[in-house]
Amino acid sequence: MRSHERTARRYAKALYDVAREAGATDAVGQEMEQVAAVCAGDAGAHDVLTRPWIKPADRRGVAVAIAQKIGARKLVQDFVGLVAERGRADHLPEIVGAYRTLVDAELGRTRAQVRTAVALTDGEKRQLSGKLEHALGKRVILEEQVDAALLGGFVAQVGSLIFDGSLDGQLARMRQRLARG
Amino acid sequence: MIRVLAIAALLVGMVPSAARAAEGGGGLINLDKSIAIQAINFLLLLLILGKLLYRPLLAKMEERTQAIRKSLDEAQAARAEAQRERAEHAAKLETAYAEAQAIRATALKEAAEEQRRLVESARAEAGRLVESARNEMAQEVTRARQELRREVVDLAITAAERLIRKSLREEDHRRIVQDAIGRVDKVN
Repeated sequence: MRSHERTARRYAKALYDVAREAGATDAVGQEMEQVAAVCAGDAGAHDVLTRPWIKPADRRGVAVAIAQKIGARKLVQDFVGLVAERGRADHLPEIVGAYRTLVDAELGRTRAQVRTAVALTDGEKRQLSGKLEHALGKRVILEEQVDAALLGGFVAQVGSLIFDGSLDGQLARMRQRLARG
Repeated sequence: MIRVLAIAALLVGMVPSAARAAEGGGGLINLDKSIAIQAINFLLLLLILGKLLYRPLLAKMEERTQAIRKSLDEAQAARAEAQRERAEHAAKLETAYAEAQAIRATALKEAAEEQRRLVESARAEAGRLVESARNEMAQEVTRARQELRREVVDLAITAAERLIRKSLREEDHRRIVQDAIGRVDKVN
């Protein structure tokens, strides 16, 4: 798994360097996310891209076609083509994540993974990101995920920092307090 | 020998009285030549008896006397030896008794000391055991109490979760989210 991540970081760094030269790091990141989402969502495309017995040239062709379809720029098309050709298409989600980290670091922003019991309204999202930006001193992008297992509230994680504003957390803390007596 | 001669003289002295009795008519001894022959016969008999019987008898008597004396001496010596041995045994017995008494006294003393030591040791061990059992019991009670408390808390929290899940409405969710957003300031 660690070698998986190392490989993904290497590819992401290469893409980032080229995108920075082109001055389109953020846009390239968004296009890469779209490509990764299509690949993950389309089982057929995913199978073609990850099967080792399919010719590298064919894999490259499929990957380029997907990128073209979503209107990605030439750089992204070439990159996903290269990744598919080398049989690393299964690394795409990690590559996108690593690339996003590099871009976020460049732009001085960070991402907060927010697990919520019910979907946040736009106003709540604005309030939460504003509060987190104020607390962390940098721009925060919320990545929301609705988790039906949560009773209520939300859990936000930024790197190693976790803010637990859920009822589950409150109950867990109450449980610990009561158990300690 | 002297006694033999005395007897012979007595017999010779009796001869005249015998003769007088014969003269008186029909006594035991007649005073004639036969008396001399009888006397000679008697003397010869006396001599022969003295030679053949009296001397061996005396020698035998002397021998018996010596044997008896020797036996007496030996008995005396044996008695003395027995007395000496008895005294010796008595002394040994006395010594052995004294030694036995000393050993007994020492053994009793050691036994008493050992008993005291064992009793003290057993008492200390019993104290330790009681203390250990008491601590263990206290720990068990504490553990059981904590376990019970945990179980009660688990039940209560689980019940609370169910109730909350059932009773939460949209506006409650919004309020909870707002409260949580309000607390984000306290992250730092």
